[in-house]
Amino acid sequence: MAKAKDALLDPLFNNNPIALQILGICSALAVTNKLSTALTMTIAVTLVTACSNAAISAIRNHIPNSIRIIVQMTIIATLVIIIDQMLKAYLYEMSKALSVYVGLIITNCIVMGRAEAYAMKNPVGLSFLGGVGNGIGYGIVLLAVGFVRELFGSGKLFGVTILNTVNDGGWYVTNGLMLLAPSAFFLIGFIIWGLRTWKPELQE
Amino acid sequence: MSNDSIFKTFLVAFLLCVVCSILVCLAAIVRIDKEAYNKQLEIRKTVLFAGGYQQQIDDGGNIDELFTSNMELKLVDLATGEYTTAVDAATYDQKEAVDNPELSEKIPADLDVAGIGTRAKYAAIYLEKSGAVILPIRGAGMWGPMYGYIAIAADGTTVKGFTFYQHAETPGLGAEVDNPNWKKQWQDKQVYNSSGKLALKVVKKGKYNPNAADAVNTIDGIAGSTVTGSKVHGIIRYWFGENGYAPFLAKLKAERG
Repeated sequence: MAKAKDALLDPLFNNNPIALQILGICSALAVTNKLSTALTMTIAVTLVTACSNAAISAIRNHIPNSIRIIVQMTIIATLVIIIDQMLKAYLYEMSKALSVYVGLIITNCIVMGRAEAYAMKNPVGLSFLGGVGNGIGYGIVLLAVGFVRELFGSGKLFGVTILNTVNDGGWYVTNGLMLLAPSAFFLIGFIIWGLRTWKPELQE
Repeated sequence: MSNDSIFKTFLVAFLLCVVCSILVCLAAIVRIDKEAYNKQLEIRKTVLFAGGYQQQIDDGGNIDELFTSNMELKLVDLATGEYTTAVDAATYDQKEAVDNPELSEKIPADLDVAGIGTRAKYAAIYLEKSGAVILPIRGAGMWGPMYGYIAIAADGTTVKGFTFYQHAETPGLGAEVDNPNWKKQWQDKQVYNSSGKLALKVVKKGKYNPNAADAVNTIDGIAGSTVTGSKVHGIIRYWFGENGYAPFLAKLKAERG
């Protein structure tokens, strides 16, 4: 039980994939200018990480060592394609907003990293929970960055106006930096700083 | 059997490929139908928005119903400005035609103010009940191509509505081309001036003077997106010029007055 709890909860803060392992930064920059895209991306990555970990773990005793990376990639790619296709079919607007970044989940280091480091050695249930935990750990950072970027960049949260912007005849002058990808670098930097100050044992 | 024997390696690879390809095929089958419908719906929605049906859509009107009862698809030969039946309108895809040498023509660089390179010979336009026409426009934006529709009243010069349905402009800056307040100022602008010359232009934010004689031909730009503004300007200048819809609109005006 303790192991399951660790697998699920550790990646949230103690071993956060973005803040500690510094994986998956590229998509964290690209899809965080709005909360809705950040949330969809979080769900997609969580599904892919959890399902691919479970699938790889299930066949881990049969994967020949010489082709194990290719096997992992094939499973991950299949899941990503399925999710991409489902988004295109049922959430068309969202799939347009996320554009290529759904496809790029294949290259998201978190997914591959967890498959190779964890799923190859652990049973199905634990691997699945580990995948969910890592997906959520990724999502926490994504949503935190998305919250700041959408609020200060567009004056909105989930598309609902919070600060009435000048372009809409209000008073709030939007912060252009927040709309551009580099702002996520600063914000993630602050999150890493904050996390390591809160938990000094995480400092290297 | 050892996991690393050649036979096992091939077996695992083969089985994995079979399972994965079946799953991917199933997903694609679901997607293909839905996506075609989604794309059609998006075009219909954009055309209705540009054509001034936004209120009905916001009130919960059925997009397909509104569309079929108010819009008629027509093909225009851009060179002559005449309606054409040279190809079947129902199956004609203007975006694909651009890549088909038989259905498109290269634009000389000095005329290509919209940055599109190649233009389809026929434009798929929509004729609205009142006689207005809704015209597809496209061009290079700051980060990627922009696709949209602009509605022109039956007089061939008054803008009724304008909207992009695809672009990759910077969110919050260039992407404000989607801002309803900005799109609203396009309404009732005149594409051509009293002597029939192309006059519609997009100026830098703040350069717009509502009292100037040409205010009726001028669109105020968007704050912080000078590049996007000039790209939209280029798109307008190209599509309403002699190589765009000018011949067609002149005929429209002559016929309907």
